[in-house]
Amino acid sequence: MSDEPAPLSTDVVGDTPVALEDVVDREALEDLCKSVHALFGIGVRVYSSEGALLANVATELELCRAVNEVSGARAACGTTVSVAKSVDPGEAGEITHPCFTGLAYRIVSLEHEGRRVGRVVLGPFAPAGLREAPPSLAQTDKRLDLAQATDLLSRVPRVKSEALGRIAAHLKTSLELIIFSSHKAWVTSKLHLYSVRESYRELQDKTQRLEQTLARLKEVDRLKSNFLATMSHELRTPLTSIIGYSEMLAEGIAGPLNEEQTEYVRTIHSKGEQLLRLIMGLLDLSKLESGTMSLRQAPTEITPILKEVISTLAPVARKKEVELVLDATDVSCELAADAERLRQVFINLVDNAVKFTPKGGRVTVSSRVTQAPPPSGDDEDAMGAVLLAPLLTQVEVRVADTGIGIPPSERTKVFDAFYQVDQSSTREYGGTGLGLSIVKRIVDAHGGSVRVEGNEPKGTVFVVTLPSAQARRAALPSRVPPPAP
Amino acid sequence: MQLNFAAREVALKLVYYGPALSGKTTNLKALHELTRSESRGRLMTLETKDDRTLFFDMLPLVFKTDTDGGAMNLRVKVFTVPGQVVHASTRRLVLQGADAVAFVADSQISETENNAASFLDLRTNLKELGRSMKDVPLVIQFNKRDLPRVRSDEEIDELARRGKEPVFKASAVNGQGVIESFFGLLELAWRKLDKEHDLTQKLGIGPDEFLDKAAANLGYEGKARELADACVGGAKWRGGKP
Repeated sequence: MSDEPAPLSTDVVGDTPVALEDVVDREALEDLCKSVHALFGIGVRVYSSEGALLANVATELELCRAVNEVSGARAACGTTVSVAKSVDPGEAGEITHPCFTGLAYRIVSLEHEGRRVGRVVLGPFAPAGLREAPPSLAQTDKRLDLAQATDLLSRVPRVKSEALGRIAAHLKTSLELIIFSSHKAWVTSKLHLYSVRESYRELQDKTQRLEQTLARLKEVDRLKSNFLATMSHELRTPLTSIIGYSEMLAEGIAGPLNEEQTEYVRTIHSKGEQLLRLIMGLLDLSKLESGTMSLRQAPTEITPILKEVISTLAPVARKKEVELVLDATDVSCELAADAERLRQVFINLVDNAVKFTPKGGRVTVSSRVTQAPPPSGDDEDAMGAVLLAPLLTQVEVRVADTGIGIPPSERTKVFDAFYQVDQSSTREYGGTGLGLSIVKRIVDAHGGSVRVEGNEPKGTVFVVTLPSAQARRAALPSRVPPPAP
Repeated sequence: MQLNFAAREVALKLVYYGPALSGKTTNLKALHELTRSESRGRLMTLETKDDRTLFFDMLPLVFKTDTDGGAMNLRVKVFTVPGQVVHASTRRLVLQGADAVAFVADSQISETENNAASFLDLRTNLKELGRSMKDVPLVIQFNKRDLPRVRSDEEIDELARRGKEPVFKASAVNGQGVIESFFGLLELAWRKLDKEHDLTQKLGIGPDEFLDKAAANLGYEGKARELADACVGGAKWRGGKP
């Protein structure tokens, strides 16, 4: 939960009185009043419960104009109107308010959810029985011309009380419906807003929690890498002594050893070396994982690297009676790569290939320049292929053996650290299970990719593709290594 | 609750909660049909075109009644929440400030899990609002009793006896059990507010009398107790009085 308080929505889902000003569309209200006015010729005014005038449709009667020309009468008119605005319409919600001219106003309260939210003031109109100006008119201001007033009064349309009641009831129903609909629309829009806000707040909370978790995981990951690096270092130091002293013993520096002793000491020495390689591998892996291994990227060609790898491993292959062939003529494509690291990649792959190939088998290392397939999918990616094609140049190196092969289902897992296809303790082929995961990480760090294919009729092909220096500089989207799974 | 002593006005908020399609809106529509027109306002439904509640439905019930302390106004707003899972935030908004909750469960055996999930959702939402299930009066309604493959009466009775809250059986689409659930809920809500705010003293009306007056105003003169008692379980809910 964030500290921010939840949005206040009690106005919408509570019982706060509705303010007409907030919910009703004044134009719509005015339109309705106009149509009533046009039908019956009676002025219509709508007030909110706060006294705000929301609609005002009336044509001034000649009588009213005459009255308003006289100051005393004008004041009396003002008083009448303001009382009509505020007089309590009683339990029935409807009241007739007389004017000193003999005319009258009909006041009807507007209700919504059992509350009075406003009123309609109809009038002024002339009650059906009105014949002549009442005494109250004469008393209001001596300057009023009574004869003229009576004449004007006779021209005001007469409205029967029952008819007015029906008009008022109809108007009340219509207005209350407008209020209901408007309130409903108002509630909908407000609630929409609040739920969006609430959902946003929830998402924010979740994002924050995820961010915290991510930060914690990153920290744990960093600690793990640090631990690995430190441990590797601490393990290496005593191991160096073991290897060094066993080597000196084996060479007879401390005196001659018999055959059996020499064999024991050589075993200690070779196992020590094996352990050292494992530790070095772990160290490399942790550096690659933590991103602390810096690649010294420089203009590089693939052929010299492969030649060197072949010559390094030729004795091993010869000893195992496995044929080792390099097929890499005329591969000229500049790479931006760390030659030392690439050598490590191919030493690993070729060494593996030789290891898993039985006597009389064959390991072929071939390389060629290829074009990466243009990004497929959307039309947008396919655009401008003619411009982008030169940047899609890559070097593909294939290390093919005729060994035991890797089942298709295992082909992506072999790059996981410590993974062995044969997990049994009695497995035929030794190894730390780190080699291929290091290979993959180095290739990834070069913006390339490595995958496994089957070799016909049997065996495995490791395919490494490396983008050209040009492609790396352009950093095409397709070159960005995919995120680690 | 909103209590206005000066105007002698009490506003209650009752919320119908439950899984999607359990019949909350149907309950409200039936309640609208079954109450006196003088005491109810227009039913506000905010539905999508496929009749699923989008935000909420709301039925205002408003009436005036005499008490020993003078006339008082009672305003009850009955809300439903949207049941669909996606409307979680709206459910929480509508639940804000509820004085009591009626949980409308779907009796069909196939809906057992949805009922439970929605109930847990209610609990979570109350917690998010800083309230606890224990403090909010609750009645449970097993709706859709008219359908086949529903949980048996015996099963519900047995479970209700073990539970704390009153359980009503209803078929809202036929108007059965709707008024009963409502009065059960109203009584529960009022008794709790009476205890917390000493309404008997302040307004001059006790819970039993209140319920009688409410029933009379809504068109059920003299039937309040009978209606509110049409439940199983919840023996202890009337403050120890069986």
